[in-house]
Amino acid sequence: MTTLIHGAEALILVYFLALNSFYGLLLLLSIPEVWEQTRLAEDEDLQKLMLSDALPPLTVMVPAYNEGETIETSVTAMLTLEYRQYEVVVVNDGSKDDTLARLREAFELYEVPRIYPETIITKPVRAVYRSRTRTRLTVIDKENGGKADALNAAINASRYPLVIAVDADTLIEPDALLRLTRPFLLGGNVAAVGGTIRVANDCKVEHGRVLDPRVPRHFLAGVQVVEYLRAFLFGRLGWNRLGGNLIISGAFGLFRREYLLVIGGYQTSSVVEDMDVVIRLHRHLRGKKIPYVMPFIPDPVAWTEVPVTTTVLGQQRERWHRGLIASLWTYRDMLFNPRYGQVGLVAVPFYFFGEMLAPVVELMGYVVAILAVVTGRVDFTFALLFFLFAWGLGLCLSIWGVVLEETSFRKYRRFGDLARLLLFAALENFGYRQCTVWWRLKAFWAAWRKRKTWGEMTRTGFGGPRQSRLYAQSPSGMWQKVE
Amino acid sequence: MNARHLVVLAAVIQGAFVVALLALIVVNRWFRLRRRAAVLPRREATEQAFRRWAAGDGGVNDVARALISLPAPIAVERLAAWNSLVPLDRWPALAQALGRAPWGARLRRAARSRRWWKRLQAARYLAATGVPADTPALAALIKDPHPAVHLAAVSALHHMSAPELAEAAIDQLPHLPVHVGSYFASALRRARAVAVPLLDRRLANPDDPALARIAEYAARLQEPSLRARFTALARHPNREVRAQAARALGSLPHAESQAALLALLTDEAWVVRAQAARGLGLLSAPVALAGLRKALRDPEWWVRLRAALALTRFGGAGRDALVQEERGPDAGARNVTELVLGLSPQALAEYAT
Repeated sequence: MTTLIHGAEALILVYFLALNSFYGLLLLLSIPEVWEQTRLAEDEDLQKLMLSDALPPLTVMVPAYNEGETIETSVTAMLTLEYRQYEVVVVNDGSKDDTLARLREAFELYEVPRIYPETIITKPVRAVYRSRTRTRLTVIDKENGGKADALNAAINASRYPLVIAVDADTLIEPDALLRLTRPFLLGGNVAAVGGTIRVANDCKVEHGRVLDPRVPRHFLAGVQVVEYLRAFLFGRLGWNRLGGNLIISGAFGLFRREYLLVIGGYQTSSVVEDMDVVIRLHRHLRGKKIPYVMPFIPDPVAWTEVPVTTTVLGQQRERWHRGLIASLWTYRDMLFNPRYGQVGLVAVPFYFFGEMLAPVVELMGYVVAILAVVTGRVDFTFALLFFLFAWGLGLCLSIWGVVLEETSFRKYRRFGDLARLLLFAALENFGYRQCTVWWRLKAFWAAWRKRKTWGEMTRTGFGGPRQSRLYAQSPSGMWQKVE
Repeated sequence: MNARHLVVLAAVIQGAFVVALLALIVVNRWFRLRRRAAVLPRREATEQAFRRWAAGDGGVNDVARALISLPAPIAVERLAAWNSLVPLDRWPALAQALGRAPWGARLRRAARSRRWWKRLQAARYLAATGVPADTPALAALIKDPHPAVHLAAVSALHHMSAPELAEAAIDQLPHLPVHVGSYFASALRRARAVAVPLLDRRLANPDDPALARIAEYAARLQEPSLRARFTALARHPNREVRAQAARALGSLPHAESQAALLALLTDEAWVVRAQAARGLGLLSAPVALAGLRKALRDPEWWVRLRAALALTRFGGAGRDALVQEERGPDAGARNVTELVLGLSPQALAEYAT
């Protein structure tokens, strides 16, 4: 028993040091990245360029299922974004409510023949509509096939070289599209760009716009603000420098349409189609030796509502982790495969060992600690110090996310919001973290049983309480589809 | 040192790091608030001075004085922001008045800095207030490897019509991503007087490997004096060059343009045929009606669409042709005419550009 405990302790310690060293590396890499991105975001000449004819035209793809109550406001907000040439393709994915009727009435839709080629096979399209009042708008009515299928139908119908997938209930900042296209203006062969997702709970929202960003008072929502800051401002910025962002937010990610077509669009069988599509893009481009970049840029922002009950949050986290396991298992041949460059040698191994297996190792740590107490082998002072050390590391990473926010984009201007952010960063490791470990562990069982359910969720919504099936986004970039 | 000492040491370092981070957050907020309080009134005064100057009520010396009172980064930011809002002929006076700015020489030196953000600041400053003596520095900045820097520098063409700057921008064109190239082309459009002779010279060389890219951007100038060159390029062996020539000729009304486009409408490459159909639509010459109607039965969908959209610009005659093809035997032509006849005027206007 003693040998077993010793062995487990050594394994956990090595894992802990390796993982946190890598986080330390990401932290260091995020510094020059945020420095550069902040300077570019403030550059007036770029803003002039963004307002010029030189901007690449793009298609905003909006899958909608039973969104009748909010669809008019959402689509109106999307039709009034600051961008020179774009179209909005709304896909009514076989809604059972009056989504289509409301769209028809609000935007004076008329049917047009569908003559574009169906490059990606989808569930049958019933009709294609254009609007008499909004020339930018196209509405596709199709049979229900899920979010990936709806997005594939939108990719088929899009006319422009860049496509961006957004959720019907995601609030996009007016200048977010302008900012999101910046890498296409600065870079070489950009395959996709990811923007930031922020938490909209407790923010003041009017006409589909976040007017006053606030940090929620609710513990669960507040902790998720810290999580999102950490995931986006520090994690993904660091990954930019390592050349291997494996996640482009499905709720707010811009893709080169030609590449999506080549890889066959989104995978309808995946529960996390956004992660799946990014991994397949990496596979395709690396496999074909096509030079490309897939950066994350922090200043374009979309806002989304996060769960505020443990039941819903648990379902969400379980499903995200299940999707991560399924994706990494499907593409396991990329693991340590030099053919895929940094993606195969750094990103996939990190997500495999550092993200996917993390709850297993953490559970092992708790079991070993209990065994050590039971067998009387524990040095309480040392254990307490180690706990303090581990908590301190987590706290450092969370506060680093807050520091990056404070020194760059400063969405939360009030001292009260800052104080809450720091408080939630300090409290995150007490209870919340252990819950996420449990939810993620459940995902292994579900993945083993090949569950494909999405879970239930009640959202308060930005315009009052409602319950509907929604598409939402995780900080790690994965989708949830909830009813 | 045993494991316990190591963990204590790590915990102490961590604690110090957390305290440092918290201090950084507080100091950052405090510093920003203080700086804001100190700079805001001066910034406001600068805005007022700029507004008066733009409206013709204020003197250039007021603007210069206000700018000199600001820190260099904010002054450069305001200069860049007002660059396109004040008539161009007034900027040389401001450039001269800013000669005594304490940060002027420093910003000029920064044009040769190894740090891109310093070169960016220099490029933005010189793009707004550059004088003829700054031409070599600006030409180098236009060729700068950092995209933000060359984007800022090329704005200098808005008010400095120096052939060296236009040549630097044209040399860069083939190497730029397409959207940045478009921005360079819009800058060249403003410096048309010096850019057109240079482009004419480049388009005269049929063996130039970058000819297609140069032609693409030269087309955006819609310059009548380049029409003969584009007409000649319509017979170039490279289909990309022919496509760009077709695109350009659509904006250059002339009997020779029509003839060249009609010939390109039967080109072997569908990209060229589609561009030719679009061009003929823009010219709307009745002589093209029959050719465009025939193009509605082209095997390529894009050519059919372009031809149908082009016909909508011919008024009654074009509409008649579309209606007849809508009832005709060719399925491709029927589909595309159905689509185009179903479009609202706004949608047509959007498609047809």
